[in-house]
Amino acid sequence: MKRIIYTEWLKVKNYRVFWVILVIAAIMIPAGSYVPAEIYTRQLKDAAKMLGQAPFSFPVVWQTVANISSYVTTLFGLLMVILVTNEYTFRTNRQNIIDGWDRKEFVYAKLFWVVALSLMAFLLSALTACTYGFVYGDKPFSTENFIYLIYYWLQVVLTLCIALLLSVWVKRAGFAIVLFLGYTMMLEQTLVFMLKRSVGRIGGLLPLQTADELLPFPVVGKMISSADRYDDSIYLFGLLLYIAVVIYLVFRKILRSDL
Amino acid sequence: MPVLSLQNVSKRYGALQALSGVTFDVPRGAIFGVLGPNGSGKTTLLGIVTDVLKADSGTYTLFDRTATAAERRQIGTLLETPNFYHYLSGYKNLRISAAVKQRSEADIARVLEICGLTARQHSAFKTYSLGMKQRLALAAVLLGDPEVLILDEPTNGLDPAGIAEVRDLIRRLADTGKTIILASHLLDEVEKVCTHVAILKTGQLLLSGAVNEVISRNDYLELSAADNGALKAAMLQYPGCTSAEINGATVIAIFSATPDAAAVNAYLAEKGIWLQQLLLRKKSLEKTFLEITNVL
Repeated sequence: MKRIIYTEWLKVKNYRVFWVILVIAAIMIPAGSYVPAEIYTRQLKDAAKMLGQAPFSFPVVWQTVANISSYVTTLFGLLMVILVTNEYTFRTNRQNIIDGWDRKEFVYAKLFWVVALSLMAFLLSALTACTYGFVYGDKPFSTENFIYLIYYWLQVVLTLCIALLLSVWVKRAGFAIVLFLGYTMMLEQTLVFMLKRSVGRIGGLLPLQTADELLPFPVVGKMISSADRYDDSIYLFGLLLYIAVVIYLVFRKILRSDL
Repeated sequence: MPVLSLQNVSKRYGALQALSGVTFDVPRGAIFGVLGPNGSGKTTLLGIVTDVLKADSGTYTLFDRTATAAERRQIGTLLETPNFYHYLSGYKNLRISAAVKQRSEADIARVLEICGLTARQHSAFKTYSLGMKQRLALAAVLLGDPEVLILDEPTNGLDPAGIAEVRDLIRRLADTGKTIILASHLLDEVEKVCTHVAILKTGQLLLSGAVNEVISRNDYLELSAADNGALKAAMLQYPGCTSAEINGATVIAIFSATPDAAAVNAYLAEKGIWLQQLLLRKKSLEKTFLEITNVL
């Protein structure tokens, strides 16, 4: 695995597009929570108190930052699409196999990026939540609610896996980006809305929605009736199942088809 | 022990049967030409051997073992086009090749020198000419000095000087005892270097084996005299002459075995036919190939 990671490092080390998108995505995590933190802490302080929620105080800050960061995940997904479809554009996916990688190793190489990018997003969010909790909060440090950051990490993992699957299926960068953005930003939300309206809470079990259900914004989450949703464990199970199925489909595609 | 052994390998793309039950062995140390017109299945065959394509049926072994990534790492392969990361330099691309092949990066300078790319090694791949890209692909093939090379149309995109260089390189590599599998539709290229051949046509293996055993390329004589009609009639009576045809100002006489030009000259002189021209020629592989692929 060390050799695979080293090879992937050589591929991106001098790839400017990769670093630019990565830096933007990384900045977006603390930046995304900055404005809400300022508004809630300075302008809506009384309103937040009335609702019994101070979103940027411990322990709620973990959930708040996890929720806001989840909107930036698409950028990491785009990075994933670019990394994978580049291999098809340059036909280096074939060359890696010809030169002596097992097909499985090609999948491991791309799963390495799923792990690396998701851990980076997770750590940055954890750091952001911790910092904002001290700067904008008025309660002592607490790790209660830290589970929301774990949910966020799983949301990033699933999003990156979906980006990987779309990329190995459609192979072409432009098409894969359009499909990925279309699905994550609009299509699934529309399906969730339609399903929830027609058949009820089962609409919350679509892939990315399982993570969204686990990551409500603190104040809003309190307002949702428990009758409208399943227990968190159901969504968590669904989320883990989707990750496993998507990874299985990626292996199946790469191991069985012509490259 | 064969370096590569194929048993009944078949592959279909939709309605197109790209390969039909192909079976042959590539012996160690051979320069093995895989010949065939465009679309005959050469690249499909090599794609299967290098695991970028999946055979529908049949099996193959590398170094007498079930082919895995470890076996492929012992082979330097150039399949179709040079595939590199466009945004990286030639040198950095070779670092990736070395990492995948598990070869030392210390060998990069040597292969760049052999392929004449030392001066441009730090330029981005996307700035290379077609010939330079092809030479970088050859440099990647040579990384780690593998014992077996698979070269699919290695002179693609090269100018005449580049073609001559690659041909010379292949000969030099062959002299060191390496096994080279060379797919090409340029028969002139193959004729000059190959010891063994496999000929494919529309996915079918027409024949395979040592060049001299499987391809009958009998020598022939090109003659002319004052009366070519009499010359033709006399040659048809000569023992071992299977045909004699007037072709423009000359008579082409074909034999069942290599003819003795001096004996033919003496024979014709006895018959009072004085030659103005007598040339011993070898049938080109191209002519033989066309005969085989048209007849079989």
